[in-house]
Amino acid sequence: MVNLAAVRLLLLRLRRPAALIARLLILGAVLRALAPAPFRVTLDPPQTVETEHPVVCMHTRLTDEVEEWKIQHTLQLVREMGASTIVEYFPWPYVEAQRGTYDWSHPDRIIQHAANQGLQVIARLGLAPDWTRPPVDEKVTTFTYLTDDYYDEFAAFAGAFAARYQDELLGIIIWNEPNLSFEWGGRPVDPESYTDLLRQSSDAIHASAPGVLVMGGALAPTIEPEDSGSSMNDIRYLERMYEAGAAGTFDALAVHTYGFTLPPDDPPFPDTINFRRIELIRDVMVQHGDANTPVYITESGWNDDPRWTNAVRPGQRITYTLQAFEMVEDWPWAERMCLWIFRQPNDLMNRRDSYFSLVSSDFYLKPMYEAVQAYARGWPNPYAAP
Amino acid sequence: MLGIVLLVVVALTALALYRLTRPGARFGPIDLAWHRIQINRDLYVGIDPSYPPFAEWTPERIEGIEADIAREIARRLDVEPQLLIMGYDGLYDSLYTGYVDFVIAGLRYSATQDDWVHYSQPYYDAGQILVTPLDAPLDDMSQLDGKTLAVELASAGDLAAQRWQRRLHVLNVNRFMLPDDAMQAVLNGEADAALVDTVSARLYTQAHPDLRMVAHTSVPDEYVIAMRDANYRLTDAVEGILFDMKADGTLDAILDRWLTLDTLDDEEH
Repeated sequence: MVNLAAVRLLLLRLRRPAALIARLLILGAVLRALAPAPFRVTLDPPQTVETEHPVVCMHTRLTDEVEEWKIQHTLQLVREMGASTIVEYFPWPYVEAQRGTYDWSHPDRIIQHAANQGLQVIARLGLAPDWTRPPVDEKVTTFTYLTDDYYDEFAAFAGAFAARYQDELLGIIIWNEPNLSFEWGGRPVDPESYTDLLRQSSDAIHASAPGVLVMGGALAPTIEPEDSGSSMNDIRYLERMYEAGAAGTFDALAVHTYGFTLPPDDPPFPDTINFRRIELIRDVMVQHGDANTPVYITESGWNDDPRWTNAVRPGQRITYTLQAFEMVEDWPWAERMCLWIFRQPNDLMNRRDSYFSLVSSDFYLKPMYEAVQAYARGWPNPYAAP
Repeated sequence: MLGIVLLVVVALTALALYRLTRPGARFGPIDLAWHRIQINRDLYVGIDPSYPPFAEWTPERIEGIEADIAREIARRLDVEPQLLIMGYDGLYDSLYTGYVDFVIAGLRYSATQDDWVHYSQPYYDAGQILVTPLDAPLDDMSQLDGKTLAVELASAGDLAAQRWQRRLHVLNVNRFMLPDDAMQAVLNGEADAALVDTVSARLYTQAHPDLRMVAHTSVPDEYVIAMRDANYRLTDAVEGILFDMKADGTLDAILDRWLTLDTLDDEEH
């Protein structure tokens, strides 16, 4: 027998908390409705880059940019500056976190906005997914630890990447600064093994997207001896790549060259790291019969951190950079000079890189931006040397 | 009536719980770093020795303003300082993971880290400051109407001068490649004042006593120590020591020791 009186009493007792919960839910719904809507990003009408100096190129850093409007705005500013090309980093694990399953949402977003702004893209591919690395209880490794057991899988990813974006891509850089142990998973650097990775990747890219340039190298400028545990002299590293049969595996050589405290015309010497060190790299190419392969400077620039011994003053940074662009335009073997770095997501978290950037984290245009823009677009330089 | 009493009891209970469990209270969270420091008598400090005279890696040890401040803090805490070299991009990571107790490496206050980092009062202002002739009655940018200002090309001072050109009726701005050149223009009578960074200004005015720095920077750039917010006892102690170091002249003595032409000349040689 159901005691109707007891049920009625229970319902009466529940009425008050039920009403309270209902009111709270309504309040929550109202507050949620009041929250600002996410920034809606729509593509611009297709843009083209207006430039008188196509050699001007920017290394952007959109890898970990969460908000799409910042990606779009960054690329709008690059285009307005007059840079024809960007270098951008696309980590392999972002696409193939699960073996054999490609999730293209991350690169899709960046590539579509770059194409919308009329920018050519040089994609730098790197990092190793978890599934390529040993379990942490077996061996502690870093994100750059990739053994030759997985070179074929990296090559497959590079080929798939090239096929998907071949209309927007100028080239693909295979790995980054492999002459540094840090970029080689903390292992001794190995030019022969890197050449193998380059060859397999090159075959995959050429098979799937013949128009996309395969760029090898991207070596860090260093004068560390060959037997150093931490890195290897970039000139010697390149020689060993050629000795391992690297000629023909890349369509262009990616080169990193920095001026540090020296002006761009400082003469090159094997034991000096300066901007013209690239000429010694070029000499190695010529000596190995590779004179027809072009060079893309995919990282370069000067830093104006007032508290760094390897930095210059802000006016020197501008002057040196513009002189360097002119020099590169005089080198028939050099195609682009890409400045490191256009903007980084958080200046205060990485002080050093913030003094390489042309735009602050909050999109303030630095004098360097205005000077490069003036150069690229043929305008008077607002920061000309006094 | 009963409802009101219940409400008051609940409020009082919440207040009591808050007071008993807040940092530093009897049942509050424990500052484990502080306990370790007290037991082991050591203090781990993250430092980036890439920019003398603030921090430099010499064959003997890490030297410079920030190294001296860290050692002085340790001395006043009666513990042994361990200065650990950090890459510029790993400073916050080392603090977050507890690898170091605090970081002193030219950091600025960052609102994005404010939820877990306690930033100390500034130990140095590296911003842009006016340098004028000794007898010039100039103390800030607003007094430069109709005057000529020398700045370093494309510097923070240059940008500030551009802003002030829009605020004042007339402000002539002369640009120079280096801060010393801007201050030389003041000496030469080509400019009424120079707006340059405080490090350059301190060094140049030492060598040229006809010039002086005004009392305050026009464009501040304050360096602070970063600590974990959770280490409330350590942050209290460090703040107190910094306050005392400013009051008793120790901080000025450290700055004077390192920001002198003699010291920098010695380093260059």
